[in-house]
Amino acid sequence: MTDLMDLNDPAAESNTDRARLRAMVDDRIGGFERPMPIPAQAKRPWLLALAGFAVIVIAVAIPAFLVDEPGDLPIGNEFIELPGVERMVPLASGGVQTGAVDGDTIWIVTALQNKLQKISAQSGEVLAIYDIGAHVEGVRSDSGYLWLMSYDNEGEVLRFNPTSGQVDRTIALGGLPAGAAWFGDSLWVSTDRSELFQISPEGEILSSQTGQVKGTGFGFLWVNDPSTNLISSLSTDGVLGEVVIPTDGVVTPTGTDIREVTEASGYLWLTLAGSSPSAVVRFDLETLSLQPLAVATEPWAATEFGGYLWMTSRFDNLLVRVDPTSGDVRRYPLPGKPGAILVADGALWVALYQPGSLLRLDITSDLIETAEPVTYGGTDGHHLICTGGDPTTTASPTVILEPEAWMNYGSWSLVQALVSEEGYRVCADGYLDGDPRPEQRSADLARDLAGQGIAGPYLLVGFGDGVHTVRLFANGRSDIIGVVLVDPTPLGFQTFYDSRLFEIGVEGGHPPWLDLPVDVSTSLEDFGTIPLVVIGQDPRATYLSDQFMAFVGEDNARSINDYWQDGLAFYGGLSSDSRAMTALGTGSSGIIWSHPEIVVRQVLGLLDRTTVK
Amino acid sequence: MATGPVVDNSTDQQDRFDDLFEANYVAIFRYCVRRLGSADAEDAAADVFAVAWRRFHEIPAGEASRAWLFAVAYRVIGNTYRSRRRQRSLSDRLKSDTAVLVSRPWFESAPTQQVRCLYRALSSLGVADQELLRLWSWDGLTRSEIAYVLGINENAVDQRLHRARTRLRTRFDRLSGSSTQQEAEEAST
Repeated sequence: MTDLMDLNDPAAESNTDRARLRAMVDDRIGGFERPMPIPAQAKRPWLLALAGFAVIVIAVAIPAFLVDEPGDLPIGNEFIELPGVERMVPLASGGVQTGAVDGDTIWIVTALQNKLQKISAQSGEVLAIYDIGAHVEGVRSDSGYLWLMSYDNEGEVLRFNPTSGQVDRTIALGGLPAGAAWFGDSLWVSTDRSELFQISPEGEILSSQTGQVKGTGFGFLWVNDPSTNLISSLSTDGVLGEVVIPTDGVVTPTGTDIREVTEASGYLWLTLAGSSPSAVVRFDLETLSLQPLAVATEPWAATEFGGYLWMTSRFDNLLVRVDPTSGDVRRYPLPGKPGAILVADGALWVALYQPGSLLRLDITSDLIETAEPVTYGGTDGHHLICTGGDPTTTASPTVILEPEAWMNYGSWSLVQALVSEEGYRVCADGYLDGDPRPEQRSADLARDLAGQGIAGPYLLVGFGDGVHTVRLFANGRSDIIGVVLVDPTPLGFQTFYDSRLFEIGVEGGHPPWLDLPVDVSTSLEDFGTIPLVVIGQDPRATYLSDQFMAFVGEDNARSINDYWQDGLAFYGGLSSDSRAMTALGTGSSGIIWSHPEIVVRQVLGLLDRTTVK
Repeated sequence: MATGPVVDNSTDQQDRFDDLFEANYVAIFRYCVRRLGSADAEDAAADVFAVAWRRFHEIPAGEASRAWLFAVAYRVIGNTYRSRRRQRSLSDRLKSDTAVLVSRPWFESAPTQQVRCLYRALSSLGVADQELLRLWSWDGLTRSEIAYVLGINENAVDQRLHRARTRLRTRFDRLSGSSTQQEAEEAST
């Protein structure tokens, strides 16, 4: 009987599309925002660099061992002081999605570890960290309470009492919260099932109807009306549709397209969901006219401050400022992936999703700015995001920035801005979706450079696993004038790393596709005299740190260190004109974010040596 | 729910979650297909992994993680059934055309009369018996894993499994006998 059953499993041939299922999972765990790829240092938190003090053998091709020291910063995960960043507050973890302000207190939820953090807006001090014990994606502050949007138990609202530090009320929603706003004297929460609840300060559900909360403005709650898929006003007395945001055939701000609605400077601002094309739409309630503005990929978290509309692009790692009247757009690269924007203590704050931190900005100072990029779109989501001139019209070199696996072109935003500011053309390579293998990346890069008329010479910059793409792309070409490798990952490193962890009973540190079995037979094995710089992180903050040794044991830590060193020495030996250096003071957050100036210095140095602007 | 302030450092949760997903998504998806049909299976499987992400710190290490996922799937599917009931109830109340997703019963896809009898026999058993047999035979779980998923001890798994097999055999024999007779009658007419 059981044999017959064993042989007749009705689902034995049932298969699902892995990528689609994964996207569905990501949508769920990302909540209001699909979680962005985490940086390699978070995946491999103990990346090692060429060590200044470890005993290593560097290929004889490397003439000297240099140390690039970012000032007097202490060892660790320290960030350079960027113009306009008044303060950087480290948070308990990454995954910062949303926050709220209550007087002088900033409340931040880090979704990766379900931590609610209380931060003084005046001092920047983290006053308390609460383990909420629920997956919280949204937070609103009003009526003396903090209202947390939880995905647990099919969706619920948690009322958090800041005085007691306890959740004292739980309101079941029967659907995952997908939007919330304080409007009138009530909390309005909608779910992924388009149920809209009005909740009293006491935590009672006062009313329910269909709709999706998009924001507030001009005395209305703005909701998506599922019956029309149009954004409509909802008044405090429950009247729906006094104002309906129209579609004009060109701009279609329908409910499924709009992420959020914000009032600023006499207009209603609609940020469009989706990655491309992207825009913010200005809606004039008097004329009922729509004016789209291209700002960045996936703009969100729009906030008015200092007479401007501010928003972030997590995809592009940018803070964006829009002049509400003229429509002038300014873009400021950020040292990480941004999450929420908040206004507190008379300042603008940006929470970084990864690495988890909170930046207090001085918008009156000269923030680092980047020009509007030109996007060269290929097929299959492959894109080149270029700044600093038209790379198709002159023969001077183009800097190609190759991201770490799982990152996209946006991870380079700071480096790109600083290099192009010097008059060079820079193209960051990446995908709007997906994470292809290096072989595919290299082929797409070559195809789209040729297809878009972006001819060499090229200076290649690869970060982490980006080294594989760089070597594959460089093979057989005569138009490479220099290479900078930032934390290049040795071949087979993931397998070795996992084997060490396995020894101590920790299974698997990495998904299998990250241990890239790159076909090195088509990689460039000999760079000849092409100038090469290898930049590594400070090992005292990574594999040789006390923390890592305590985790894996000293012997394992040193063997992982040795493996990494051997790999870096191998890369350094690829060219007879190579230099290797340790970026002191850089730890687990990524040199390109914590100390972009070190990378920029080496890129500009190679460009100065080999070219004339 | 919330407790006093604690401080915790970040982990490599993302990586380990990705491993967990890769190793188990097919099995969890098929588990959901068997119980819900293909229409709702992906949603349910995605819900399972979303729960896994949110409760990642509760997942046991090693192979025990598989049983943990199945236990979550068991409860997610229970929620889906309850949700379907609510949808039907709401639809009835509103007397509207509200679409209610009701999957085609999986046993209708049986390739042969014998297998159809098997599926019908299985579906005629109590819910607990069905779940035990499916976990053992189709999901390939061990006794200890089944015990974990259902929240019972291993001895109870043995006893209930024995009884469930006996009941399945009885029902199957009854159904196959009647179907054979029915086929014979149909053939003679």
